[in-house]
Amino acid sequence: MQKLRYSYHMKITFEQPVREHRFKLRCFPLTDARQKISNERIDIYPVHFRISEKDSFGNMCIYGTADQIHDHFAVDVEGDAEININGFLRADEHKIGIFKFETPLTKAGNNIREFHRELEPAAFYDNNFERAFYMMNMLYDEFTYSQGVTDISTNADEAFRLRHGVCQDYAHVLLALCRLERIPCRYIAGMIPGEGATHAWLEIFSDGIWRMLDPTHNRECDDTYIKISSGRDAKDCSINQGVFYGGGRQTQEIKVVCRKIS
Amino acid sequence: MPIELKELCRRADDVNELLARYGVKFGIYKGGKFHEQLFPFDMIPRIIDASDFAYLERGLKQRVKALNEFIRDIYSERKIIMDGVIAEEFIYSGSGYLVQCDGLAPPKNIYTHISGIDLVQGKDQSWYILEDNLRIPSGASYPMMARNLCRRSDPEIFEQYSIADNRNYPEILLRTMDYVNTGGLSVILTPGRFNAAYFEHSYFAEKTGAHLVTCDELVVENEHLYFTDYSGKREKVGAVYRRISDEYIDPVNFNRESLIGIAHIFDVYARGNLAIINAPGNGVADDKGIYYFVPAMIKYYLGEEPILQNAPTYLPYYEQDMKYVLENFDKLVLKDVAEAGGYGVLFGSKLSRTEKENFIALLKSEPRRFIAQEVIDFLDLDIYENDKLVPRKADLRAFVLMSDEPVVWKSGLTRFSRNPDSFIVNSSQGGGFKDTWVMEA
Repeated sequence: MQKLRYSYHMKITFEQPVREHRFKLRCFPLTDARQKISNERIDIYPVHFRISEKDSFGNMCIYGTADQIHDHFAVDVEGDAEININGFLRADEHKIGIFKFETPLTKAGNNIREFHRELEPAAFYDNNFERAFYMMNMLYDEFTYSQGVTDISTNADEAFRLRHGVCQDYAHVLLALCRLERIPCRYIAGMIPGEGATHAWLEIFSDGIWRMLDPTHNRECDDTYIKISSGRDAKDCSINQGVFYGGGRQTQEIKVVCRKIS
Repeated sequence: MPIELKELCRRADDVNELLARYGVKFGIYKGGKFHEQLFPFDMIPRIIDASDFAYLERGLKQRVKALNEFIRDIYSERKIIMDGVIAEEFIYSGSGYLVQCDGLAPPKNIYTHISGIDLVQGKDQSWYILEDNLRIPSGASYPMMARNLCRRSDPEIFEQYSIADNRNYPEILLRTMDYVNTGGLSVILTPGRFNAAYFEHSYFAEKTGAHLVTCDELVVENEHLYFTDYSGKREKVGAVYRRISDEYIDPVNFNRESLIGIAHIFDVYARGNLAIINAPGNGVADDKGIYYFVPAMIKYYLGEEPILQNAPTYLPYYEQDMKYVLENFDKLVLKDVAEAGGYGVLFGSKLSRTEKENFIALLKSEPRRFIAQEVIDFLDLDIYENDKLVPRKADLRAFVLMSDEPVVWKSGLTRFSRNPDSFIVNSSQGGGFKDTWVMEA
């Protein structure tokens, strides 16, 4: 049982004042069979009206409006998480079908298909988790972590062609590979110990439970991974979606701090 | 029926001129430019006798009930997938499936408030369903408008024959909106005057008394949707008949690049504080791939035999069907499931050798993307052209509106191809239209 303390900070600064800002945020870890969240504190600035509710994937969202004129918009989320590595998430069969099929961001094009043909995962393993684990190992040897090569809209096939990318790209490529095998798998946005940005990994549905793989680190997730949200791909887990009048150029800063506590 | 055709057609030019003056137009985008073009009207109606219509009515009600039940099931328990009746790939890979709707129930569980079901009649007189248009089917205003003018130009004909009055469409539409209204105004939401069907939006608003509104007149506050009128007064909205597709309706929940749409309208709907007509996500049932499964759906949900039949259709996704398609390629029509409006339609016999080879390679690599159908030998309808009667391909769009029970409007939009060699009747490709007369028994 691992205890972690986390803080997520996001701030958008607008060059020109903004009005009638309407937002939907998805950056709030929830308690489930695997993680227990306590001492949670949420701060959103500025807010005129807000409401929280779960989306169709079960992710916590806060949506609302910020009517008064403002030049920045900020969200701070803090809390403690207790992770139980044996607390497996189960799922109903009728709920997992959607995770078997590609999305625009996880579509396997010729680059990924060719790689997949060489792997022949089904020839070695018949268990979903083992097959995904094997493909993750092979992907790790092929792919290099580097920032600035891809961006948030880069799809799996393009990232794989470049052979470079960040955690989101690792996750999208492995999702694409698993979906060629019709293995139900989903994208996870979350936090791991350290300072910096949010992290991304996968859940693989195998033998009736969801199991986590981190392709960026080429390992099964341990008890230091805090889940924020899940979906078919990064787009389903987008942290902030908003519209407003005004604004001009905007700059966004994100800072995640996560550390182990006893 | 001995209606004097000459009599009927003598005022064709007058009626078309009036239609033009009233702005009965259809907008199309060509080469990046917006043009409004007239929708040519042919005076000779399609006539459906009472017993034929009674049969169509039974079949259409049955079909729409099953489709509505299917959508409800797909966004809740998905029994039809779990029982192996429909391959899940056709649900989740289709463009109409909207994951945000999973687990939500619209007011009164109605998803298909207004359906436009396209049918054709074969030379053997039997009817076939060609397409189920469930997202934003348009076209009811055209026969309404044409009927009005024809009644004016030839009142005797409408006295002499018992033709079902089709001027009740606004009344049925209003009942459909009111039935699901969660408390507040009923409004018709148009993307604006540059939309292909703007004439229709404004006509429905005029005839139903509902407000015709654009996105900037609607605003979400405190979990409800409000309409702001010209004086700044706000009124709560309980039902929106939106003529904007799902992906553009809410930039906070769907396509964030959308310049139209109303932020958080979907959240209001999700909380049960608004009826959206038609319900978001209902496009999952008007996918051309799903069409194949509708007869099975009717048996599955209603325990009945389908009254109306599909055109014989093959899904290359299934090996057996693929084999048939490859062996009979030249006599089939192939349709891209992602396209609409008569685009993405190929006739096997009309392809050159290379085109055919290329297409078959594509079909084999993406079998899920296409359906194949037997070419139906349509019963041609006569149109009046340059003082002569000439036969043309035509279809029928029947409108089914759902409130406590489905109602089939006793009329419909009959579209015809003006090109004698074409099977494509879509108005966006320059077709014309006729009124549809349903005779009273």
